[in-house]
Amino acid sequence: MSNSAWVVGARAMISLRYLMICLLALLPASAWAQTWLDSDRLTFSGFGTLGVVHNNSDEADFVSDLGQPKGAGEGWSARVDTLLGAQARLKLNEQFDIMAQGISRYHYTGNFRPELSWAFVRYIPAPDWQLRAGRLGLDSYLLSDSRHVGYAYPWLRPPVDHFGILQLDYIEGVDATYRRPLGDGLAWAKLFVGRSKSHVVLTDDLSAEIDIDHVYGGHLNYATGSWQFRVSYTKSDSETNFSGDYTGGVDNVYALLTYQLIKQAFVYRSMQLYSLGMIYEPGAWQLQAMRNQSETDENGIIDSGFASAGYRVGPTTPYVMFSRVWTSFPGIPAGQSFEQQTWSLGLRYDVASNLALKTQVDRVHVHKPGLLWRDTGADWDSGGGHVTLVSFGLDFVF
Amino acid sequence: MPRIHYLVITALLLHTGLAQADIAMVTNADNGIDQLSQSDALNIFMGRYRKLPNGALALPIDLVPLKARFYHALVNKDLAEINSYWARLVFSGQGSPPQQADSAAEVINLVVHNPSALSYVDAARVTPEMRVVLVLHE
Repeated sequence: MSNSAWVVGARAMISLRYLMICLLALLPASAWAQTWLDSDRLTFSGFGTLGVVHNNSDEADFVSDLGQPKGAGEGWSARVDTLLGAQARLKLNEQFDIMAQGISRYHYTGNFRPELSWAFVRYIPAPDWQLRAGRLGLDSYLLSDSRHVGYAYPWLRPPVDHFGILQLDYIEGVDATYRRPLGDGLAWAKLFVGRSKSHVVLTDDLSAEIDIDHVYGGHLNYATGSWQFRVSYTKSDSETNFSGDYTGGVDNVYALLTYQLIKQAFVYRSMQLYSLGMIYEPGAWQLQAMRNQSETDENGIIDSGFASAGYRVGPTTPYVMFSRVWTSFPGIPAGQSFEQQTWSLGLRYDVASNLALKTQVDRVHVHKPGLLWRDTGADWDSGGGHVTLVSFGLDFVF
Repeated sequence: MPRIHYLVITALLLHTGLAQADIAMVTNADNGIDQLSQSDALNIFMGRYRKLPNGALALPIDLVPLKARFYHALVNKDLAEINSYWARLVFSGQGSPPQQADSAAEVINLVVHNPSALSYVDAARVTPEMRVVLVLHE
């Protein structure tokens, strides 16, 4: 990275008030293992990412998920990937504990305002059972409830084509998990039910608040040897309230069309999500693949998936990944609905047992633009194009 | 009697041809558990399923100086990978990693006083208060 890039990155950091204050407070912290592993009843721990991304396109700003109102424009930006999370856990006895976790990241409010992402009581009546009640991370597919914990995965960020379109962070409700050995491996099942609220940005001019009266679902898992498999189902009943008016000018017919069609597409009362996931980690290899399909009661369909392969050599893990998202909505002509695919090539370097440096290059081919881009130009709106992103990140846990 | 136990265990260890570098997984001698499979040990230490063969909730304990060797022998992973794995579980409220002990003496103390404790020591340092339920070869 050039000096000027660091300067731009550093300047962007200044706006991240919450993060810097918290990071300064963390400097004297010892290795995380000692902080959160001590046998005291009350433990504090946290995670974070300092990330900068370079976008080569002046036609479209990159976001890492649907909730971000502004993106990373041409040049360097620390907005979309940087975050900080902190957790407090109180162990009452062998059967009960309480956990609360907050996160500060750039999201729908347009700033890094911290949010309470988890707050629950857990009850473990027997080794086979676990029950939790409170605010719980949405666990509708593999890694969905830990996608902000950069230190936990090889990539600089989870594949945006697959995770960026997820509209829910957490539910308020209960879940139950049952585990038992099966054959040579371990099987477990989880059921969850609750309610939630979600804020998404659909175009520069159109935001939606989705009130989810009921969300329920579950998943079945099987792990044996180096393999893990999951099949999941989630259903939600919701009401969408839009805000914002079209301001793109009547001459940009594509932007106007997108605005109207996307608005129409997000008027639905219920959505079902099906997901398949697989992890294979024999020794040095780290292979993952997932496939999702969401379907609304208005016959809108969002498909996505990715496959990733990494190989660990000492502290270095190079990886390659391919991801894709494609949509179809009634009312949007075939082939005109949002669709894109991404090739990613990256490297994770484990500096210490609580610190990883990462770099990643993404080549995004946007077949039909929409949903995951901001401040788009008129040329782009008519046909999309290619975008190259170069990112650097520092992930840590404490 | 303890002296005889010690001799018997030493004889057994020698008989089975243990190298000095082997890691012995140990429990409380009075909990009725004779042996543990490697997949049981993996499920317990990786927080997947913490049930001992006698039905009790297992209390896994890491011996910090031996930790890197232990996880290499158990799951063929580096400590960074193990921490990465636990980061995912801890920050999605799925549980907590094993308790950490800084010395073999601390392990012995915990194992002797807790029937559900499961830990590991260098096979050459097994003492009569503990029962060896699994040996991991490096």
